[in-house]
Amino acid sequence: MSDHGNGVMAQPLSEVHQMTDGMPRVPERTFFDILGDDKYYKWILLIPLLLVLLIFMLYPLFYCIWYSLHEFGMVKAATFLGLENYRDVLRDEEFWLALKRTGIVLVISIGAELVIGMGVAVLFNRDFKGQNPIRGLILLPLLMAPLAVSMMWNFFLQYDFGIVNLILGIVGISKVSWFAPGVGLYTIAAISIWQWAPFSIFVLLAGLKGLPRDSFEAARVDGATPWYTFRRLTLPNLTPLIMIIVLLRTMWLIRLFDPLYGTTRGGADTELLDWMIYRNTFVYFDIGIGSTLAIISLFLTMIVCGVLFTQLMKALAVTSE
Amino acid sequence: MKRVLFWVVVVLVAFTFVAPLAWMYLTSFKTNADIYTQDVLKLFYFSPILDNYKNLFFETVFFREILNTFIISVVSTILVMLVALPAAYSFARYETGHGHLLFVTISTRMFPAAVAAIPFFMLFKGLGMLDTRTVLILLYLYFNVSFAVFLLYGFFREIPRELEQSAMIDGYGRLDIFRKVIFPMIKPGAAITAMFCFIFSWNEFLYAFLFTRNLARTITIGLASFWASGQIDWGTMGACVCLAILPTLAAAWFMQRYIIRGLTFGAVKG
Repeated sequence: MSDHGNGVMAQPLSEVHQMTDGMPRVPERTFFDILGDDKYYKWILLIPLLLVLLIFMLYPLFYCIWYSLHEFGMVKAATFLGLENYRDVLRDEEFWLALKRTGIVLVISIGAELVIGMGVAVLFNRDFKGQNPIRGLILLPLLMAPLAVSMMWNFFLQYDFGIVNLILGIVGISKVSWFAPGVGLYTIAAISIWQWAPFSIFVLLAGLKGLPRDSFEAARVDGATPWYTFRRLTLPNLTPLIMIIVLLRTMWLIRLFDPLYGTTRGGADTELLDWMIYRNTFVYFDIGIGSTLAIISLFLTMIVCGVLFTQLMKALAVTSE
Repeated sequence: MKRVLFWVVVVLVAFTFVAPLAWMYLTSFKTNADIYTQDVLKLFYFSPILDNYKNLFFETVFFREILNTFIISVVSTILVMLVALPAAYSFARYETGHGHLLFVTISTRMFPAAVAAIPFFMLFKGLGMLDTRTVLILLYLYFNVSFAVFLLYGFFREIPRELEQSAMIDGYGRLDIFRKVIFPMIKPGAAITAMFCFIFSWNEFLYAFLFTRNLARTITIGLASFWASGQIDWGTMGACVCLAILPTLAAAWFMQRYIIRGLTFGAVKG
C-alpha cells in the first residue's frame, strides 16, 4: 500500500503521453483536448467523488457541530449554549457508564476473536481433505446482517424455551437468564464474537500462509520448540495483521447498534454509546445532546484509530525491513 | 491419534458456525408447539409445516420489503460504482492528491453513523423526504463510496501500467483505453466490489430504521418489527430471518476467496 512506487512510475507515463499524443496535434487543440491533459483529466475523474464527500461529509459534520452548541428540540428554535452541552454530557454518569460498557465489549470481543482466530488459523494452516468446503462453511456468518444474527441468537437464548438453555438443562446446568442485567452485555459481546471470529481466523490464516518458509526451517533445524518458534517468529511476523484486525474491529465495535436492537434494546444495563445517541436524539428528541454525543463519539474514534493506525504503520515498517 | 484429534477440533469449529444457521432453518418449518417444546426428542422428530412461510408471505408486507431492499441496494450500488470507478482509477494512476485525498476518503468510513444521521434526518424531514427510497439510496451511496474507492484502488493497481502505455502509443484515445483496455481487466474486481456494496446495503439497519417507516422500509426493518410487537411470533420471525440472510449466505459461499480482501479494504489478500 505504499504510495512511493506509483509516484516514480508516473513520470515515464506522462512523458510518453506528451510525445505521442500532445506534440503532433498542438495547433488544433480543442477544449476537450486540454481537458484530456493528464493534469486536468485526473481531477475530472474525481469530481463525482469530491461532490459526494463534500455533501455527505462536510454538511453533516458542520451541522452536527452546530447542533451540539445549541439547545435544540426539533420544534422550537435553537438557542445558543456554547459548550454547555459538552459540560452536561461529560458530567452525566450515564455517558461514562455507556463509555465503560463500550470499552468492555471492545476488549472482550477483540481479545476473544484474536485468541480464537489464532488458534483456529494455526490449526487450519495445512492442507487437509475437504478444506475448501469447511472454509466456506466457516465464512458463512461474516456477511449476514448483524441484526438478523442478533435476532437469531435472541431466539436461541430465550429463557423458557431457547435451545441453549435446553441443552444446558440436559447437561444438568440450571437455566441462565442471558439478557439479565450484568449478563446481557457479555451475551451481546458473545454474539458479536460468533459473527466476527471467522474474520480473525481467515486474516491470520492468510498471514500464516505468507510467512517465509526458510526461517521456520532453520528454527526447526536448530531445535527450537514449537512454542518458541511461535513466539519469536510467527507472532512478530503477524503483528501488522493483528493490528489491522484490532483497527477494523475497533472501528466497527465503537458504533455497535444492531445487536442491541435485536436483543435488549439498550435495557438491562447494556446501553452502549451509539444507543445513547439514538435514545437522546430520536426518542427524547434532544438534538443538541444527541449531536454532542455524536461529536464526542467521532472524536474518540479518531483518537483510537489514529493511534492504532500509527502503530500499524510502525509494525509494517518493522516487518518490511 | 493426532489425526483424530485434529479432525475432532475441525468438526467442532465448523459445527460452531454452521449449527446455529442449520437450527434456524429447521425451526422455520416448525409449529409453535414444536418451537416451545421441552421434549428433547421432539426437537428433531417433528412434522415440517410451511405455515410460517405462508404467514410471512400473506400476513406481512414481506414482498414489499424485499422489493424495496432490492431496488435500494441495486440503484445505490450502481451509483457507487459510477462515482468510485473513475475516482479509484485517478488515485491509482495519477496519485491524485498524493495519498492525502485517498486518506480523507477512507476516513469517512470512520464516521459514527449518527454524525451523518442527525443532520440528514433534520434535512430530509424538512424536505418531506422521509420514508422514501431516494433517501436510503443517497445514504447508502455515501456509506459505501469510500469503501468502494479503496477496494477498487487496490484492484486498479494490479493492472500493469505498460498495457495502457502501449495502447496510447497505438493511438487509442482516453475513452477507448478505458473501455477496451482497462475495463476488461478491472471487471472481476469491479464485480466483487459491487457485490460487497450490494450486501452492505442489504444488511444495513440503522439508517433504514431512522429514515423509513412504512412505504420504503427494508427487510431489516421487517425483521426488527417482529421483535417490536408484544407477542412474538417466533416461527414467522425465523422464516423471515432465513429468507433475509439467504442472499448473503450465497454470496459468502461464492465469494469465499474475496471476503477477507473486501472486509479489510484490500489490505489482506486472503
